[in-house]
Amino acid sequence: MSKIMTVDILSSIKGAEPSEAVNKLFDVIKNANATNNNSLNNNHNNCVSLDNLRDDVVIESSAIEKQIIVENFPKEKNGYLVVSKVIEA
Amino acid sequence: MDSQIHKIHQQLVNKEFSCTNLVQEKLNLLKQNTHNTVNNLLDNLALNLAAKVDAKIANNEPIGLLEGIPFGIKDVYMVQGTFTTASSNLLKNYKAAYTATAIQKLLDAGAIPIVKENCDSFGHGSSSENTIFGAVKNAINPDLVGGGSSGGSAVNVAKDYTVFSIGGDTGGSVRQPAGYNHVYGLKPTYGRISRYGLMAYASSTDCVGPIAKSVGDILIVLNVMSGKDAKDQTSYVSEAISEESILNSTDIKSVGYFKSFIESEAIDSKIKADFLATIEKIKAKNIEVKELDFFKSNILVSTYYTLAMAETASNLSRLDGSNYGNRIDNKNLKESYAITRSENFSEETKRRIVGGNQVLSQGFSDEIYLKGLALRDAISDNFEKDFKEVDIIVSPVTPNTPPKIGNSLKDPHAMYLSDAYTVGFSLGQLPTLTIPQGTETGLQITAAKNNDELVLKFANFLKDTI
Repeated sequence: MSKIMTVDILSSIKGAEPSEAVNKLFDVIKNANATNNNSLNNNHNNCVSLDNLRDDVVIESSAIEKQIIVENFPKEKNGYLVVSKVIEA
Repeated sequence: MDSQIHKIHQQLVNKEFSCTNLVQEKLNLLKQNTHNTVNNLLDNLALNLAAKVDAKIANNEPIGLLEGIPFGIKDVYMVQGTFTTASSNLLKNYKAAYTATAIQKLLDAGAIPIVKENCDSFGHGSSSENTIFGAVKNAINPDLVGGGSSGGSAVNVAKDYTVFSIGGDTGGSVRQPAGYNHVYGLKPTYGRISRYGLMAYASSTDCVGPIAKSVGDILIVLNVMSGKDAKDQTSYVSEAISEESILNSTDIKSVGYFKSFIESEAIDSKIKADFLATIEKIKAKNIEVKELDFFKSNILVSTYYTLAMAETASNLSRLDGSNYGNRIDNKNLKESYAITRSENFSEETKRRIVGGNQVLSQGFSDEIYLKGLALRDAISDNFEKDFKEVDIIVSPVTPNTPPKIGNSLKDPHAMYLSDAYTVGFSLGQLPTLTIPQGTETGLQITAAKNNDELVLKFANFLKDTI
């Protein structure tokens, strides 16, 4: 049996529910006539050619970049990021 | 050609005033924050850079055209070491670790960033009221909204607090506030300017866009920021547009406009009358004008918001407070994520994230999201067909004049519908410029993909025509 995920879980937002204002927009789409219903056949994707991909190499961050990343840690101990404990049943 | 940048450059070179004085004067104006346009002032950085420009001038060294020109940055761009808040509670203390490519190019050209500008949180809004820094006030009438989401940027340019500003346009966020504040605002062809370092809202339509007081200044800033960037795989190689190339518009033979926009019941009668009068003036210049068929406004708005919400739900899922941001700890990681996001996102941002997750869910994706993608293709096909018929499409920027501050947030659906004339061009990824002429909220000029030059050319032509 499939587990139903509600939008509050999917969005990680407590008590979130679909809104009327947004549902009105979706109703227009449901009732619209799309002449081309096969989205896989479109010509408007921003695909990048395989020949044009950037090099798959690790780029070392600068010292200032690393320092700012640490400054942004919400909680820090001895230079390490502190996260909440994960307890999964 | 009119250009504030050229004028100030010459005044700096002639030593009519120092760069430090110029920057300090702008900072003093911004410090008062009369229109809630300021999220953070970059005073130390700006004054240090200004002193370097002054030293060069004192030594009679040549300076570049943009060197010493003060500009503003919508607070969704990374500028290393500066607060980059997206006008949100979640990131109110976040410092950018790196600098966006578009901004870096301006810094390399010597332009001086002076302010991070107020906007709708994460670009979610059309009025710049969805912000923790207070609603942006319109430059012409402070009781009205500044427009959005790049409201702070457009108002700063209109009030001369910045010489130019860099906004971000996903569904009209540069063009609409430019129209509301009577300045120029360009959404270039998607990919012409790298998005690297622009906080992602809807990645398939996000564009970096300059706001300025003349076509000449838009051209200068566009040229500096454009180009292929390995850090944004959707960016492409483009050639600089020369000033000379936009002076002569004799190759523009035909112009189109969408009947559905003008025949809509939602359009203000004066905007409609002014737009049609503009069309007559264009005809009087022996340019053929054609009425074009297009999708209804509600289809455009719904398609745009369906896709934009899906993309923003995905893009903003990274904002959970674990590595950065205003984390609120709770009993475990999942709860911490949920509380952090619930307490720190605005109502409008939450509405869009939830909407996005709705349409991406099993059972809804086929009838809404995938259909939205198909509609987007149909809209793009329509544009391709149109640009075989006409060189340029002109449209009003908005159906109505700016609302009073406080009204838009009460009715989100009405706010979505107010984007009716801008979102279609975003879905088509087309170059579109707002000019402060033609109607009370300006006029949009659109050309085929990659033809940003033609847009600027026609804008320059209209400057003396209407």
